[in-house]
Amino acid sequence: MKPITAFSTTLLAGAMALTGVVQAADLVIAGRDGGYGDALQAGVDAYEAAHPGTDIELLKLPYGSLYEKLVIGMREGDSSFDLVMIDDTWAPEFMSNNWLAALNEDAVSQDFIPSLTDISRYPVGQGPLYSLPVVGNVAMFAYRSDLMDEPQSWDDVFRSAQNLKTNDRAGVVFRGTQGNPIVTGFLPMLWAYGGHIVDKDGNIALNSPATVEAIEAFVSLRDVAPTGVEVYNSGEVRDAIQQGKAAMAIEVWPSWVPSMDDPAVSQVVGQVNIVPPPGQVNESTPMLGVWQMGVSTHAEHADLAEDFLAFFTSADFQRQLTLEKGLPPTRTSVYLDDDVVAQYRWYPNQLNALRQGTARPRVQDWQQLESILGDYLQLALLGRLSAEQAAEQAHERMVASR
Amino acid sequence: MFRSHWHPLLLLSPALVLLALLTLYPIGYSLMLAFTNTQYGGPMTFVGLDNFRDLFSDWFFNQATRNTIVFTLAASLTQVGLGLLLALLFHQPFRGRAWLLPLCIYPMMLSTLVCSSIWKAWLHYDFGWLNNFFDVLGIARVSWLSDPQTALAAIVLVDTWQWTPLAFLLLLAGLQAIPPDIEEAATLEGATSWQRFWHVRLPLVRAPLFLALLLRSIDAFKLFDKNYVLTGGGPAYSTETLSLLAYKQGFKFFHLGTASAIAVVMLIIALVLSLAYAWQVMRRPH
Repeated sequence: MKPITAFSTTLLAGAMALTGVVQAADLVIAGRDGGYGDALQAGVDAYEAAHPGTDIELLKLPYGSLYEKLVIGMREGDSSFDLVMIDDTWAPEFMSNNWLAALNEDAVSQDFIPSLTDISRYPVGQGPLYSLPVVGNVAMFAYRSDLMDEPQSWDDVFRSAQNLKTNDRAGVVFRGTQGNPIVTGFLPMLWAYGGHIVDKDGNIALNSPATVEAIEAFVSLRDVAPTGVEVYNSGEVRDAIQQGKAAMAIEVWPSWVPSMDDPAVSQVVGQVNIVPPPGQVNESTPMLGVWQMGVSTHAEHADLAEDFLAFFTSADFQRQLTLEKGLPPTRTSVYLDDDVVAQYRWYPNQLNALRQGTARPRVQDWQQLESILGDYLQLALLGRLSAEQAAEQAHERMVASR
Repeated sequence: MFRSHWHPLLLLSPALVLLALLTLYPIGYSLMLAFTNTQYGGPMTFVGLDNFRDLFSDWFFNQATRNTIVFTLAASLTQVGLGLLLALLFHQPFRGRAWLLPLCIYPMMLSTLVCSSIWKAWLHYDFGWLNNFFDVLGIARVSWLSDPQTALAAIVLVDTWQWTPLAFLLLLAGLQAIPPDIEEAATLEGATSWQRFWHVRLPLVRAPLFLALLLRSIDAFKLFDKNYVLTGGGPAYSTETLSLLAYKQGFKFFHLGTASAIAVVMLIIALVLSLAYAWQVMRRPH
């Protein structure tokens, strides 16, 4: 080959390769990695198969990175992502800043669990629809049905934990890591005791007697929890309950609950019951942890994004994802499906928990409030602060942060 | 060699422009942000020294500063000390040396996240092999990561496991660069092993020793991923570091003013540490 021809060929090949790299996809989705990412990938594959010629690019990101990328992108007015997956705690920030486009109201089927579509609107339950729920996550309570009856209150939880604690088994397990993990486990307790982080008007309301009682109850659980619970996260909670090292777990999530009935990894197959968390002064108040998807206001392919979202949240495809990938659905009909219930025996309880579930406060600065509460809660858990000091100081810091 | 004094500058200019863009500009911008109240994408309001005043009166910031300094000193000194011991050992010929060397530097090849996850399992109170080993020895189990008294030390242990090999390699190279006739002369003069180490080897490896200290201190000072994975900064803020705090302020709450103020404090502390070591490295031996 002559040098000039070789040079031209290389240049052409390079240009073609470059064109391939920079050729824009028809739709760009930013979502989570892991199991949620697998479910999204299945959705992309199925949609592309049903719509030949459509090219969808899916970015699978870890929790923290997804939030950072989306917030920075939205604030910069970046149009890189058309369809975005968001945690429900991010929703107030995204919706109130007009980072998500209002969806067509026809997208809301009555089949969606109402508490989930309520938080897809801003203001909650009333405003325009900005997203659709794609993962029906809710914090559930797990207990060993072979050892005890279902606890009816948090007092029951503590009493049973004391009775069931042995040298080889803790009475109860929870996530004690400071920040988001410890707060997530604590919130259903706080609400059950009648406490709130913010009041109806969005003002900080942590310094109440109810909050102090809730923190005292939470701290008392440490005595009947495994040693080291202060740095436990989801993995340790799952291992403790699956290996029979704990009689109860105050917070388990539908995305990993199925493994408790998997004999390959669990020593308590069929012995763990999954129910909504107990009440105390108030009725049981399960905490929602729903993942939603919405169309970016800067999207270049908004119509296609809405069409994909409708497909991904359709009853048929949700049923398929639930059976094949274990993705918790957001539609009532899927929870009541015979095949689905046969595979996931706790789904009727999960549906009840979702129906009566409460979302975390709908405030824009939730990330910061959660972090502050997480810091003080752990100081209380370790006995560095009394429950009263923790509530008061966290309250003051939250007020000062605004 | 050069026709005018502009030529060297011209040749250096691409590197200088890159340095200015990638290092000086961000540092300058951070410095400016540190004196403002700025949310990402929001307006910039000049607040003077308020960010620093708030930080220095904040228990959480002071705790993170203390943890960062304690960790940096403990980890870098331990790693260089152990690295020196290992280097002295491997400086002698012994059977299996060629096989043991790659094994010793293996932890350094692991990614920090993998390393942290492995150690999280090893340090687990109930299932970790360290506590199981203690059981065999009849020693009481230790709450490595969940006790505020031991959590930071446990992270020093993990960091030492991963990064002692770096100090070891630098010091081994330093030892091997010592001309053999100097040691032979000392031996002929009747110097004992200790005297040979103290008066001959140690002064001659001073430069790599301080280089290892400098490199490890800078890296340890930035501690983020190990405590993020192992403890999340807890328990009770006992492993929270300035990097973790700056990350939260900058990328979770998007308070760029506060995050930049933390970065400036970090820069000053790191600069003082680095200058002290650099001065030692550059100093001509007596």
